[in-house]
Amino acid sequence: MEVGREIFWNIALGWLTYLVMGVAVLILAYNLYDRISLWRRGQEENRWDSVGKRIWGVILYVVGHARVLKEGYPGVMHLMIFWGFLILLLGAGVDAFNHYSGLHFLKGGVYLAFSFILEIAGLMVIVGVVMALWRRYVTRPSRLDSRAEDAWVLILLGAIVVSGFLVEGARIAAQGNPWERWSFVGWTLSGLFGKGKGVLLFHKALWWVHLFLSFIFVAVISYTKLLHIITSVLSTFFRNLQPSAIRPIENMEEAESFGVSRWEEFTWVDLLQLDACTRCGRCQDNCPAHLTEKPLSPKEVVQGIKAVFEQETAPILQRMRTWGVEKKEEEEGEEGKTLVGGVISEDAIWSCTTCGACVVHCPVFVEPYPKLIDFRRYLALMESRFPQEVQVAFRNMENNSNPWGIGMHTRADWAKDLGVKTLAEDRDVEYLLYVGCAGSFDDLNKKVATAVVKLLQRAGVSFGILGTEEGCCGDSARRLGNEYLYQIMVEQNIEVMKNYGVKKIITLCPHGYNTLKNEYPQFGGEFEVYHYTEVLARLISEGKLQLIKPIEDSVTYHDSCYLGRYNGLYEEPRKVLGAIPGLKMVEMARCRSRSFCCGAGGGRFWMEEHLGTRINHARLQDVLESGASTVVTSCPFCYTMLSDAIKEKEVEERLRARDLAELVLEATEGV
Amino acid sequence: MGGVWVYAEVKEGAVKKVALEILGEARKMASSKGEECCAVLVGQGVEGLAPRLGAYGADKVFCVEGEDFARYTTGAYTKALYDLVQKEQPSILLFGATLNGKDLSARLAARLGVGLATDCTEIGLDDAGNLKVKRPMFAGKVYADVAFSDAKPQMASVRPNVLTPPQPDESKQAEVVKVDVEVTPEDKGAEVVDFIQVGGGKVDLTEAEIIVSGGRGMKAAENFKILEELAEVLGGVVGASRAAVDAGWRPQSDQVGQSGKVVTPNLYIACGISGAIQHLAGMGTSKVIVAINKDPEAPIFKKADYGVVDDLFKVVPALTEEVRKLKAEG
Amino acid sequence: MNVLVCMKQVPDTEAEIRPTADKTAIDYTGIKFIMNVYDEYAVEEALRIKEKMGGKVTILCLGPERATEAIRTALAMGADDAVHLVDPLFEGGDAYATAKALAKAAEKVEYDLILCGKQAIDDDLAQVGSILGEFLKIPTVTGIVKLEISSDGKKATVHRQVEGGLDVIEVPLPAVFTASKGLNEPRYPSLPGIMKAKKKPLQTLTASDLGLGEDEIGAKGSHIKILSFSLPPMRKEGKIVDGETPEEKAANLAKLLREEAKVI
Repeated sequence: MEVGREIFWNIALGWLTYLVMGVAVLILAYNLYDRISLWRRGQEENRWDSVGKRIWGVILYVVGHARVLKEGYPGVMHLMIFWGFLILLLGAGVDAFNHYSGLHFLKGGVYLAFSFILEIAGLMVIVGVVMALWRRYVTRPSRLDSRAEDAWVLILLGAIVVSGFLVEGARIAAQGNPWERWSFVGWTLSGLFGKGKGVLLFHKALWWVHLFLSFIFVAVISYTKLLHIITSVLSTFFRNLQPSAIRPIENMEEAESFGVSRWEEFTWVDLLQLDACTRCGRCQDNCPAHLTEKPLSPKEVVQGIKAVFEQETAPILQRMRTWGVEKKEEEEGEEGKTLVGGVISEDAIWSCTTCGACVVHCPVFVEPYPKLIDFRRYLALMESRFPQEVQVAFRNMENNSNPWGIGMHTRADWAKDLGVKTLAEDRDVEYLLYVGCAGSFDDLNKKVATAVVKLLQRAGVSFGILGTEEGCCGDSARRLGNEYLYQIMVEQNIEVMKNYGVKKIITLCPHGYNTLKNEYPQFGGEFEVYHYTEVLARLISEGKLQLIKPIEDSVTYHDSCYLGRYNGLYEEPRKVLGAIPGLKMVEMARCRSRSFCCGAGGGRFWMEEHLGTRINHARLQDVLESGASTVVTSCPFCYTMLSDAIKEKEVEERLRARDLAELVLEATEGV
Repeated sequence: MGGVWVYAEVKEGAVKKVALEILGEARKMASSKGEECCAVLVGQGVEGLAPRLGAYGADKVFCVEGEDFARYTTGAYTKALYDLVQKEQPSILLFGATLNGKDLSARLAARLGVGLATDCTEIGLDDAGNLKVKRPMFAGKVYADVAFSDAKPQMASVRPNVLTPPQPDESKQAEVVKVDVEVTPEDKGAEVVDFIQVGGGKVDLTEAEIIVSGGRGMKAAENFKILEELAEVLGGVVGASRAAVDAGWRPQSDQVGQSGKVVTPNLYIACGISGAIQHLAGMGTSKVIVAINKDPEAPIFKKADYGVVDDLFKVVPALTEEVRKLKAEG
Repeated sequence: MNVLVCMKQVPDTEAEIRPTADKTAIDYTGIKFIMNVYDEYAVEEALRIKEKMGGKVTILCLGPERATEAIRTALAMGADDAVHLVDPLFEGGDAYATAKALAKAAEKVEYDLILCGKQAIDDDLAQVGSILGEFLKIPTVTGIVKLEISSDGKKATVHRQVEGGLDVIEVPLPAVFTASKGLNEPRYPSLPGIMKAKKKPLQTLTASDLGLGEDEIGAKGSHIKILSFSLPPMRKEGKIVDGETPEEKAANLAKLLREEAKVI
């Protein structure tokens, strides 16, 4: 027999394959159509822009597993299963094409290579499945919850591949071709079958079993977690490409409701994400609230919403399937169950620091924290229900344009002896230095503001401040769900800035940075925004700042969530630190995109932390373990939280917190 | 006709100190105007307090006694004073700006149709012999000089702990005038049916003249003992900052600050308190502020009149000893 | 149970208060205004009464045009309607003149009880509630931290702040109550509330609408008058106590407190 493989060898009625698989595909398609109809019951959202970019994302993240591989064991484990299966599927396709196109190119060396590759693929799946079973049932990482279907799906995957190998083994045993040793697994298994008449029977039986299992696989995709095969592609395609994950509320004057309390109030993308989540738990494993025993797990948030969604769409699905009888979808006044305070507790909702780890680590681009903000909007705007301290912060922002409520007429007092001009005095400057509330009012962070001013002056940068015309950026208001207050504050700031013809802004605070850069455009405020660490990095590289005084110290840099995960500014602060002579840098294990939040984001700085253990104490542990004697921050919240932690845990003897700007100033020989 | 009168509020069988503080000024004003300086006592069994008022400068003490006045009610007391004032026609009537003093003076002034200035820090006469006062407004951010219309009596309530009481002269005797006042249920209006005690019965923080306060620097609940000793020897009470209350070392009722109590003592000693804005808002108008903290950068030093940069666990006990010695000297 | 709430718009607690150049008035330019803090407790309590017993909550406010912002806030919290007394003739009025106008306006409103804040944080006079009660010939209880109304609506039991504790007082209705801190936690207006407030009825009345002559209100109808404003004396800069040892510092401090500050 020439080197190759006859299609459907020894299988009468092989063409049934197409019928059987066709039915499975139809079942899948039918259910997918239903699911899409259910998603579309959510609110509108346009995510059809930048199609090219979106397709590239699918290639990079789905096929390339770019996020999945960020974790070693589970990454490789899933890659094996995914690629193994994909190759086997493509192989079957190539095989069919080879036959039906009449080209018959799968022969000789080409066939042997083809066959070999498929062996590897099959093994990959088996290795992946074993790794998965081991991980889920022996290692038992806390972030995985197990249901019956988790085991069945893995067993099914394994069974398909094992049965496939057995079919091959039987065929090889029956056909007896020596070159089949390239199919080394099948070759090895063929030894099980002997040479008698029984082999052909075994082959037939195993073949049908293999087909049956494959049919089951495709048919149950839409009924099990296997749906993520399709939904992950969709959720990756429809991922958020906007600079901010938070959407403004359109038309506040006319809208009847704000925020989300029932599933129907989420957008169709949010609902699709519910179906894309595979309960992998990476979000939970990186969530600072969860890791400090708050009742919040992003995974449980998504799964909780999903559970209610499933429960309440079941009758809808029923109705949709009643052919002929009442295909209409009007439900009389049936409102969904409220999620807030139900499947998601209010404590959980307020525990989130919006650190972004859940969004950055999710391999399928589910967005948990924006959903929590949607809940907060409902609580804040519809029910006015939030912790008492939050009300104080809202009022303070309303009345004095800072969450501390310190008299707004004192906003520029910190700068009065520094020779800084306001834009009112001189608007002909290159940059607006947007100081922010912390730099203006908080004693600790006034030092940072002062340091940055001195550095900019030293480097000859042309800048001015808004002084008492500066308003709070509004970040805390938005994060706490008070979108109404936020919009008022934003519009006010944009008006003032546009009035002065502001084009470029330098900020001290990453939260101000993030909102000015990524969210103000939502309201017509388009500015070129820089964080002071970027500016310092540039000034140093341009030689405008001479770092001549060595600082003999071992430091570790704490990545601010809003600078790092949100805006990718990991290297600039490190470049700056690297330019300080005498400084030894050590990295914490949880650094860069894995940086552990200080606990202040999401408006939590203004709230009491009653539940679980303290997030800033947990981060302090990371700092202490690094062995550094100084922890460097570049965010006023982080600076305050870590300084407080050092005091609270009484480790002042061996650790101090400093801001990057203060160190740079020291190194330029001014203090 | 005429007279500079002082309402002598009674608490637990004694005349409140503020009345004595005001009597000093009232005496001066009365002499300057050539009128009598009188005090008014309302209550049950209060006649015995009259001599004290005499010693502090009252020429005459009116006593309104009766069961209806055993507990303070706006209605009964207003009626009593109204009847008395209508009869005697004083030209000036002064109260202590206490909770009851403010309540009573406001209702009375309305009934009499006269001017009332609340919570004054300075009282005196203008050239024409009319009452002239100075009082804080906007929570003390500005002070206003206030003048009165001719309607008599011109009324004012005076902030406790601001004026200095005169030296009592035991030889001075006041004429005691007993006054009978009828009070009907309509007059009374409201009825006091019960009293709920709040706090340990000690002087409330908001009334204390000396407060020794502890913050995060105290490190533990037991350590407040040294503050209690200092407070004891000074004759004051112990307060706490937010950090100490949050840590569970002191009860919420001890908290001084924006979300706790606003206090106005003569002396406020802050131990191990950094001086966050919210705390300063609660004690910023203390007459004298002392800060003891080992962190020289603590914001409280900017607000303190006297600062000690050192370990409070050494300074406080030492201070207690020093004060004990000084007090023993007399 | 219909409740009338007297409310005043005042400068924000943190605002910088500057006398004008001639010191006879306060310069309000650039100042942020808010609802008087104690009046918020009154509004909140009124809303709770309405939620429990039904009825209407009416806001009564005497103030310039800009006070409508504070009135709308009260409406956004849930009050039903408002009466705004605006008239240049009201200017310069003390508590007596103000309460007179309020009393006249109150006569036009159906109320079972009246709630006010215990004092306005601008003038700190703490009189209007008492004077209002006197004009309307009903009792006033000042400084309450708890309010309970009998089910027949005829009487109220309140807790009033007194030294060392609380007096429990029973008052027949109608009556005036002035609210102190601790009565309740005022709600934050919801966004739908804010939107609805824009359409709630707000009646404006002048002095002549109330039948009040020029001599009865404003500066002319007042019994006290502010001659001038002054700033409080600047706190002298503090000093750090000298000493080599903690004991030495303590000794020096004690000496200073006795001899210089004279507080012990």
